[in-house]
Amino acid sequence: MNEPMIEVKNVTMRFKYNNDKILSLKEFVTTALRGKLHYNEFVALEDISFSVGRGETLGLIGRNGAGKSTLLKIIAGIMKPTSGSVISRGRIVPMLELGSGFDYDLTGRENIFLNGAILGYDEKFVKSKYDEIVAFSEIEKFIDTPIRNYSSGMLMRLAFSVATVVNPEILIVDEILAVGDAAFQKKSQKRMMELMGGGTTVLFVSHNLAKIREMCNRVAWFDSGHIRMIGDTKDVCDAYRL
Amino acid sequence: MKKTLFTPATIKTAKIMIGVLLAYVLIVAGIYFIAGDAFKYRDSRSNIEMPAAEANVAELTYDTVIEENFSAFIHRYDTVSVVWGTYYNRPNEGTAKMELITRSNGAVVLSKTFDVSALKDGDVVSMSFDPSDPMREAIVNEALCLRLSATSEYGSAVTPMMSSAEAAGRELFVNGERIAGTLCFSATGTDYIWIGTHYWTIVGISTAVFALVLAGIWLIHASGKKSYTVTAVKSFAGYGFLIKQLVARDFKRKYKRSVLGVLWSFMNPLLTMLVQYFVFSNLFHSAIENYPAYLVVGVVCFNFFSETCSMALTSISGNSRLIKKVYIPKYIYPMTTVMSSIINFGISLIPMLIVCIITGVHFKISVILSLFFFVCLTVFCMGLGLLLSSMMVFFQDTKYIWRVLSMMWMYATPIFWIPSILPEQYAFLFQCNPLYHFINNARICILGGVSPEPSAYFWSALFALIMLLFGALVFKKTQDKFIMHL
Repeated sequence: MNEPMIEVKNVTMRFKYNNDKILSLKEFVTTALRGKLHYNEFVALEDISFSVGRGETLGLIGRNGAGKSTLLKIIAGIMKPTSGSVISRGRIVPMLELGSGFDYDLTGRENIFLNGAILGYDEKFVKSKYDEIVAFSEIEKFIDTPIRNYSSGMLMRLAFSVATVVNPEILIVDEILAVGDAAFQKKSQKRMMELMGGGTTVLFVSHNLAKIREMCNRVAWFDSGHIRMIGDTKDVCDAYRL
Repeated sequence: MKKTLFTPATIKTAKIMIGVLLAYVLIVAGIYFIAGDAFKYRDSRSNIEMPAAEANVAELTYDTVIEENFSAFIHRYDTVSVVWGTYYNRPNEGTAKMELITRSNGAVVLSKTFDVSALKDGDVVSMSFDPSDPMREAIVNEALCLRLSATSEYGSAVTPMMSSAEAAGRELFVNGERIAGTLCFSATGTDYIWIGTHYWTIVGISTAVFALVLAGIWLIHASGKKSYTVTAVKSFAGYGFLIKQLVARDFKRKYKRSVLGVLWSFMNPLLTMLVQYFVFSNLFHSAIENYPAYLVVGVVCFNFFSETCSMALTSISGNSRLIKKVYIPKYIYPMTTVMSSIINFGISLIPMLIVCIITGVHFKISVILSLFFFVCLTVFCMGLGLLLSSMMVFFQDTKYIWRVLSMMWMYATPIFWIPSILPEQYAFLFQCNPLYHFINNARICILGGVSPEPSAYFWSALFALIMLLFGALVFKKTQDKFIMHL
């Protein structure tokens, strides 16, 4: 099967925004009555098309605000593009921000199940991997404590362990996540590399060019909503240096 | 290559569909059997009410005949009653006779002879059809005559009473002479309910339509095309684990840090009911047979409504962190809040039943029918929840508007007051309040021990479905814009 795993076709994303954000019905009505309901438009992405093949690792580089994160959100299905379409053939696991589904009143155990469900795992899978997750996060002792009592390092370790327990078909990574203390950082980096190297299709955003050169088959350079350059890692990275 | 329609997957789908169809038939048949007579007859809308007695007609002696011509569109006559006067309770003698006669052929369909000596001023004498008498159904809209005669002598005779008001189609005669006014009598009976008499036809047609729709969906699915319905159900089933986890989260979060925990769901309706009972019992106690039970049903239903809606209101904005980071169909969030309040509702039904038992409500099988109205209430809450949650994303003052609105709604719904305190011309005010229908009909099922009329089911279901449809439509139209406003 030579069908690409991800196809991005003519994706354009425009944001409408008002100068002072209208938050209430009252403001909306009064501004509309004064005839000041003007919207400004901001084009985050314009007519982006590319595709990623099976097992390929595509690096996304570019300055802040170039549209990389917006594109990742569109591919993950979190946002709908203004026009254009994205076809993805396989289950996507977005590693955009860890632990966003955590509930601080629940225990570590309950949060493993909750977060697993949010990431789209099924019940059997979470049950079978539960011990592995706990072991990897190294917080066996506190697993039945509400996580509001956890340190931030413990939280990140737990979140990382839940998020990386699967071997997804498509992985979206926003920077390599190196969390916790030095020992855990090493361990988590290793796990990340395993995930990214294991035949998965990966979209990888990073500002670390060395990592990009090391990991990616191809690189796309984003510049204010456009693809400035896409192609072989070495060529694009060399050009980007300039 | 010839494709077969029957694969294990499509057979499984067919089995599920047949199950759904069977469940539908079982439910509609069950409702009919549990409801019993309430689905077949209702008090006739053409009942002739007893007018206020204002004057004597004439002394009803052996040579006097008093007749009242009338007709009424009562499908099944039950009782005809007349008010009598005795001239200040003087001792009277003889017997009086009431006869109901069809004017077309002069046949007597109902009669009663009684001793007048036992009669007191203002006494009502009734004559009733035998329930199996075929004549009671044969005189619908017929020109009838109520003829009164007696054997009494002058000075010891009674008189029927009359009202000076004239009524259309009514004529009062004394010995064949027309007199202005109407006789003080009442005629009551029941009417057939169209839905009740045609129930099995309706069930048959709707089941057939439903079966055809399902068969159509199945054919689309089995021939390998993408069926919207099957995909939607499958994707919903695929999120089962997530829904379970989110409901568990809501539930745990609610009770985790409280000492009494789940007991609060138990105490809340009881306490509210007690407070309202002490405040309002003097006002309404006499008008209602079992005021505490009346209150508790209303309080439990309304609490469920207001809790579900205010929780659903923040279900999108409160989960904004998640929505921004992970793709989950957005309707899951309001859906799970409704589900977790259903659990609370289930718990609060226990104190409701306890109050009903303590206050001596005789439960009949009709209690089961209240489930129908609870389901309607839930569907209504779901629709309103979807609407509110999407409004909340765009306008943060929805929260405050809703707070005021739900308070107004509480006072506009007969929870602690009774509809009869409102003048007749304002009846439409609560007739168009969906909550009134859900709560009132649930009360009829639980406290009244009978089923409401079939039309009550129809209106409740209609209100609920319209709300759900409207809410879902607004939600679907706006959900793609949520992310820009969170």
